[in-house]
Amino acid sequence: MDYIQTTNFIGDWVRGLGLPWGLDRAVNGILGALTIAGVVMAGATLLVWVERKVSALIQSRLGPMRVGPWGILQSVADILKLLVKEILVPNGADRLVYFLAPMLPLTAAFMVLAVIPFGPTLQVANPDLGVPYLIAMGGIGVLGILIGGWASNNKFSLLGSLRSGAQMVSYEISVAVILLFITLVSGTTDLRTLVLTQQGTVLDWWVFKVPGLGLAAFVLYLISSTAELNRAPFDIAEAEQEIAAGYHTEYSGMGFAMFFLAEYGNLIASAGVAATCFLGGFLPPAIGVPAVDRALFAVPGLVWFALKVAALILGYMWFRWTFPRPRVDQLMALEWKFLLPVNLGLLSLGALFTAMGWVLP
Amino acid sequence: MELVPATDQALPPGFLTARSGRATEEYFINMGPQHPSTHGVLRLVLRLDGETVVEVVPHLGYIHRGIEKQAEAQTYLQYLHLTDRMDYLSSHHNNHAVCLAIEKAMGIGVPERGEYIRIIVDELQRIQSHLVFFACFGADLGALTCILQGFKAREYITDLFDAVCGSRLTMNFFRPGGSVRDVPEDFTDRVRAVCGKVDAMLAEFDRLLTGNLITKERARGIGVLPRAEAIALGCTGPVLRGSGVDFDLRKKAPYGYYDRFEFSVPLGEAGDSWDRYLIRMEEMRQSLRILEQACRSFPGGPYRSKEKPAYRLPTGTWFGAVETPRGVFSTWIVAEKGEKPWRIHSRSPSLANLAALNPMCVGHKIADLITILATIDPVIPDMDR
Amino acid sequence: MGLIQKLPAVVDPLPGGRHLVDAVDTIVNWARANSLWPLTFGTSCCAIEMMASSMPRYDISRFGSEVFRATPRQADLIILAGTIVDKMVEVLKTLYEQLPGPKYVIAMGSCTISGGPFIYDNYSVVKGADRIIPVDVYIPGCPPRPEALFHGLLLLQEKIKKESLRRPWVDTTLHTAPFVNPFTRAALEWETQEKEREPAAAEARAKFAAENPDFKPFKAERVLPPPMPDLPRPAGKGAGLPHGELFDLVRAAFPSVVLHKNEGADRASVDALPSDAPLDFVVPPGEYLAFARFLRDEPRLALDLFFDLTAVDWEQPPAPNGATTPLAHRFHLVVQLLSTVHGHLVFFRVPLAENEVPDDSRKTAVLAEVPSLVPLWPGANFKEREAYDMFGIRFSGHPDLRRLLNPETFEGFPLRKDFTHPAMVKRPY
Repeated sequence: MDYIQTTNFIGDWVRGLGLPWGLDRAVNGILGALTIAGVVMAGATLLVWVERKVSALIQSRLGPMRVGPWGILQSVADILKLLVKEILVPNGADRLVYFLAPMLPLTAAFMVLAVIPFGPTLQVANPDLGVPYLIAMGGIGVLGILIGGWASNNKFSLLGSLRSGAQMVSYEISVAVILLFITLVSGTTDLRTLVLTQQGTVLDWWVFKVPGLGLAAFVLYLISSTAELNRAPFDIAEAEQEIAAGYHTEYSGMGFAMFFLAEYGNLIASAGVAATCFLGGFLPPAIGVPAVDRALFAVPGLVWFALKVAALILGYMWFRWTFPRPRVDQLMALEWKFLLPVNLGLLSLGALFTAMGWVLP
Repeated sequence: MELVPATDQALPPGFLTARSGRATEEYFINMGPQHPSTHGVLRLVLRLDGETVVEVVPHLGYIHRGIEKQAEAQTYLQYLHLTDRMDYLSSHHNNHAVCLAIEKAMGIGVPERGEYIRIIVDELQRIQSHLVFFACFGADLGALTCILQGFKAREYITDLFDAVCGSRLTMNFFRPGGSVRDVPEDFTDRVRAVCGKVDAMLAEFDRLLTGNLITKERARGIGVLPRAEAIALGCTGPVLRGSGVDFDLRKKAPYGYYDRFEFSVPLGEAGDSWDRYLIRMEEMRQSLRILEQACRSFPGGPYRSKEKPAYRLPTGTWFGAVETPRGVFSTWIVAEKGEKPWRIHSRSPSLANLAALNPMCVGHKIADLITILATIDPVIPDMDR
Repeated sequence: MGLIQKLPAVVDPLPGGRHLVDAVDTIVNWARANSLWPLTFGTSCCAIEMMASSMPRYDISRFGSEVFRATPRQADLIILAGTIVDKMVEVLKTLYEQLPGPKYVIAMGSCTISGGPFIYDNYSVVKGADRIIPVDVYIPGCPPRPEALFHGLLLLQEKIKKESLRRPWVDTTLHTAPFVNPFTRAALEWETQEKEREPAAAEARAKFAAENPDFKPFKAERVLPPPMPDLPRPAGKGAGLPHGELFDLVRAAFPSVVLHKNEGADRASVDALPSDAPLDFVVPPGEYLAFARFLRDEPRLALDLFFDLTAVDWEQPPAPNGATTPLAHRFHLVVQLLSTVHGHLVFFRVPLAENEVPDDSRKTAVLAEVPSLVPLWPGANFKEREAYDMFGIRFSGHPDLRRLLNPETFEGFPLRKDFTHPAMVKRPY
């Protein structure tokens, strides 16, 4: 594959500079990484504030009000405070692993977002094997949580990380099967091509396309990814009422801030994957009326993508503040006894539909 | 889980009943005194096999304030305000029990209006306490919105207490012979308005938590307390009634004017967390019924009998018991000469109910331990005194 | 982070470095003040008000403090909501040390400020949390209302905004302040402040008097409550079996059992007793277990629920000449039983004589022994432990006889009349 593609306007610009010895690749890589890091950090910080406001709305409160207009700088203050806070390492902790662990979940979020097409010419890298790459990168996040809980030398942390390991590895399978289903029906693993297969009207999005199955896959993806993200109601790994703060019980200051931001970074990544695979990515919701469609296409693709991601994230937040939490064994039973068989059935049906040519409406 | 008697292990203090016959290694975990869901400073030491609870040993005393010793150096009225701080979610009930004992000792009668005020305030507090239960139970299940909505409904009643007693939490409102002051003129209207609001909130709670599939899965068949065991452990209140024992002091030994009102006592069948939860939800509705009847026939006249210059109890032992939201709270006074008690003892319902924690939790997961503890609805300063 | 604390030492000597440090100070303090995450730590009543302050009506999240952290590693602030007692001291110290700096403490409520209602005649309450850990803001009240908590929070924010990296927060030593009566201290402070204000106040008074010659100060009048009737108490409504029937059933099986302070009672006089005061039997120590078993198993009594168990110490204070009256029975162990079927209560007490122990160890020695009731009612477990903890009565056959409420290292038995404790201060008035 060509590392620098026309899908990336930064890449175009860098290539235009004509740098020698493959420096263009290096510059492109660094610029792309910085962009993604900025997007994740700014997005996560904003999302923390949004989450607090949404929860306040659901709970008939006001939420942060004092810092900046409507408290919009609240999470900036939080992150800044965590940055300048003392870092305590518990006695008996494995220092190397202890400091390494918080970086991994955030890295996973960066890696996933690196291949998501934000717009027609906005994608840091477009590997041919985009979907398998997503599945692989999703597994890195759990590693951070596992080793973080283990290295903390705390029984609550250990319980949290073991719970999280069991849960995320299980739900990883469901997510993978659903992504395979999309690959199967769309016939591509290239994420940009995957978006382009949904060109046309709203009804050409994969969520509506395979009769019934697309919608089912979308809903199943939302459930599984909520569990994979460790978000309430499936947040048994950091269930505050049960095991204090779970795997990050012993993390203070920066380490905790990175776990905290990684949760929201992964939220953006997960919503981005859902938007790309099911909701047409950067494509506007065209309805088939030429005049309207022209207006819709005039809006940049990035805006459409952001809107879809925002809607999905609001959905995730609504889940979180409404449902009670299942128990750890119930959660595993849900995955292995219900979601996985259904997903496998979905995959077989998807194969059948593809073979019979029933995919397009 | 198969349990065999402990033989060779050196266990921490308190663990001595059984050892599981598994080949896996057990471990101990210390929950509390600072833990978000032990409802204060209760400390539980858990013996775990993986995530399964093998044994729970509660350690008390992290808020032991020596109230019973201090009471021996204080007058009866000074003691009265200490009872507010024991079970702060049912401070009116605690005052009521002490006042009952003093009234019995000194032969003080309570005028009709005074009894009505007591019943209305008691029942309001029962609702308030159960709302806190709902809030904590929801939060312990992980539905954090419940805790905020529960407290939102509680604030309506707190406002009323603020208007009546001048305080939000530790009211110290009752005196032997009635209450310390009269209620506001529009009291019954305010009570009715609050009842309407609380009723609407209860319907909302049913939609939010009671009907939720996950809640049912988390509570049904969890923490089963058989009828015989509940009685033998000395449980009272919703924990006892959840196991199907028809015992409510307001019905069995009515104090005040409780025999004038129509209400029913909800009973559980299975004795699990779900039953205890439903009973408390239903008790709130029954309390609303009592409040409605009491407001309809709220009498005029004096609100208390003549104030005594000093309370000197006749020598002997005196006893007063009331049904609080958590069970039977009783005060037992040994009076000798003078204004100060020789000995005052309070029976705290939470302490007796806590004894049921270990039998209920064995074999369940840590997450269930939390919800079972929430359905006991303990107030730690009430246990520790 | 430790690095930022070194900033002033490095940057201040540079030209213009002071302004940079000032700017960093402003930003850092702004972040710290606006993001105070409290620890979920509440011991008693104040905790409910602390919870109420984060609920919809009051909503502490407006100040950015709704993120109650369950683990001290991620918290910035301990709100000491509720009384701190001796057993809690070590826990609180540990929690404080587990908080990463900068850490702040708000003492909420009278109990944490000074001991509050528990300051006198009390052996276990710590007289002021600032004797254990440093406290930044004090909020009086019992309990303080949520508005007061917010006021305290805003005061703390003001305090934080005045901090500087040049004076780092690091304070690793825990202070054990000597006990100064906080009321005296407050009165002294108030007096000095009044003295400072006096000249200005006198001037203002003189000016006011000159401007308003007709002014008459308001005089408070005591409003007496309306006279209330002196009502006699109506006869109590008893529950369950009538006293006479209970008495006959018991006396038929145990003729040696008598009523407390009414040894010669017969059926007729028992019937005349007030029906809402439970019968109180005295059982000889030898028949204690048999009597308890009888009450539990007799189907007509149906006393199935173990209601309560406690004790009374009858030791009288020494006479003015120092003479003590020897007691035949030092303790009464009182057992209260309840019938869930009928609703009646029956009390019985067993007099316990004092064991022979040397005089010097009398206060700390276990003085009496009775058989345990745990085999009959498992619910007796905690209550017997409490009686052991408070009175030093040993229950033979109890599976786990340890102190229930006081720490294991506690000396003496608090509810004994001869109990003394260094922390117990007699009420001076």
